[in-house]
Amino acid sequence: MNTLTVARFTLQEAISRRLILAGAILSLAFLGLFVLGFALIYHNSSELSGPLSDEQSRAMFGTIMSVMGLYAINFLAGFLALFLSVGAISSEIDSGALHAVLARPLRRAEFILGRWLAYAGLIGLYVGLMAGSLLLAAWLISDYAVPDPVRATLLMMLAAIVLLTVSLFGSTVLSTLANGVVVFSLFGLAWLAGIIEVIGGALSNQAMLNIGTAVSLLVPSDAIWRGASYYVLSPLYLAGVSANHEGIAIVGHSPPATAMVIWSVLYPLTLLGAAVLTFGRRDL
Amino acid sequence: MSLNLSAEPRAAGVAAPATVPAIETRGLRKVYGRTTVLHDLTLTVEPGEVFGFLGPNGAGKTTTVKILLGLVRATAGEARICGLPAGDLAARRRVGYLPENFRFHDWLTGAGLLEFHGRLAGLSEEERRARIPQVIRRVGLAGRGDARIRTYSKGMTQRIGLAQAIFHRPDLVLLDEPTSALDPVGRHEVRDLIRSLRDEGITVFLNSHLLSEVELVCDRAAIIDRGRVVRSGRLGELLGATSQLRVTIDRVNDDLLAALKRHAEVLAVEVIDAGIEPGGASRTLAGNGSVTVTLAVDDPEIAPLVAETVMRRGHRLHGLVPVHRSLEEVFMDLVEGGEG
Repeated sequence: MNTLTVARFTLQEAISRRLILAGAILSLAFLGLFVLGFALIYHNSSELSGPLSDEQSRAMFGTIMSVMGLYAINFLAGFLALFLSVGAISSEIDSGALHAVLARPLRRAEFILGRWLAYAGLIGLYVGLMAGSLLLAAWLISDYAVPDPVRATLLMMLAAIVLLTVSLFGSTVLSTLANGVVVFSLFGLAWLAGIIEVIGGALSNQAMLNIGTAVSLLVPSDAIWRGASYYVLSPLYLAGVSANHEGIAIVGHSPPATAMVIWSVLYPLTLLGAAVLTFGRRDL
Repeated sequence: MSLNLSAEPRAAGVAAPATVPAIETRGLRKVYGRTTVLHDLTLTVEPGEVFGFLGPNGAGKTTTVKILLGLVRATAGEARICGLPAGDLAARRRVGYLPENFRFHDWLTGAGLLEFHGRLAGLSEEERRARIPQVIRRVGLAGRGDARIRTYSKGMTQRIGLAQAIFHRPDLVLLDEPTSALDPVGRHEVRDLIRSLRDEGITVFLNSHLLSEVELVCDRAAIIDRGRVVRSGRLGELLGATSQLRVTIDRVNDDLLAALKRHAEVLAVEVIDAGIEPGGASRTLAGNGSVTVTLAVDDPEIAPLVAETVMRRGHRLHGLVPVHRSLEEVFMDLVEGGEG
């Protein structure tokens, strides 16, 4: 019950501090720009499509624009997750505002879970609305329907929740500034490792592939995105990639491995447990 | 802005049994790295009393309070609140707390803060709705409950902090420097509020270094220095233990001083007028001057004995005034004297 009270309080805070209003305005601006850009490119696509048939051209542009749009949303959701939670606990401790709250009959675990629940809800809603709107716009403009929008969206939510949980855990052991430095570095590291892995795959370089896999285990956010992006790609595009051994470096050209999906679900749960333990033992 | 001091009915069944101490610590110890902040702190606060917890900065006052609330873990020892292990949820239900820095979520309104804390304290919606205006009025914030805390002055923030501490009708209120941001009128009002809480049977643990506040409102007090209780007891005992007697006489000599020393320690001899005749060890006044001899006495009741001693030796007694030392003087002696 107290967990829900803290979650409600956290959502109230997000509304009161105009986080939601600012996020909504910027998201609408992003979607507007995407629709405008996509429509302009799509209607001039005949000049770019070369020998492709109409159907091929539609699938190709639909795939590229959808995946690029979702990639941007994935980035924004990652930043949102990190910004929301980077000081979720540490700034409360630093300011002293937490002392009166935790003097109440409230378990520290309930406070952490309440915070996490509210942020995860906000991020889930953000990714769902943004990805849904973007894919709807892509379908309306180009008549391109992504193969599995639900799996793609759910995996994108998971990627953002992984980052959220990393940041929330960091917030229980580090100061806000130190946590910010660490989690943004990890975010960048995961992105870079993903690129190294893709290039390693194209070059059949095992060392590069191993680096990518190791970093994916440490911070699986980019690996999850690649899994999500696979469900956005049209079979036509994938056939072309398979034939030419070329593709977009930021997407995954094979479905996510089951082991990776299981790890990606266990990962935030484990970190959340660790956050509860470390915060529970910390002197305030 | 003024406090409303009308007593409130206590929630049925929440009062602690009168025999159980409101606070009890035994051998409480806290070590941070190589620094020992608390040394075997043993303390008992009886239910229904206002207890002052005094000490200089860094003495371990706030650490003690945080251990009582479960915000900090003790390295060793035991602490109980109303008979329950300190920090347990059941113990925290009985406690209201005003933190030292009184920092609250400033995006909330005053009423919103109470609503949030009321939910966490387990008050029903009906209770919260009824109590929010009552408590806001009680701490002198009537008409400002719907304003955001970020628009409050320091004093108003401290008042809303007091409101959240007493909102759920606790058995024990821990107040950490509750008047530090208030003007003299506000301080007076908070003292009255503390007295009214005592009248309602609520125990108040007042953590402060404002000694005059403690002197005015507390029944008992403990003085802590470098993590140790250096003295504790009823306020009268703390002050009375080091009372002084000022004896004003026409003249003084070694014979009289030796006689007085048999009753009390002579702290000072002060000649009030000029015209002293040189007389070896004896100091005798030529004019209408006087000499004040200050004695440290454990029992002010020895005053008649002192008067008799003076007059039997043929001295004229101009005055005999018992002087109670202020808590500040006692505190300074204990803390600077390094009794701890």
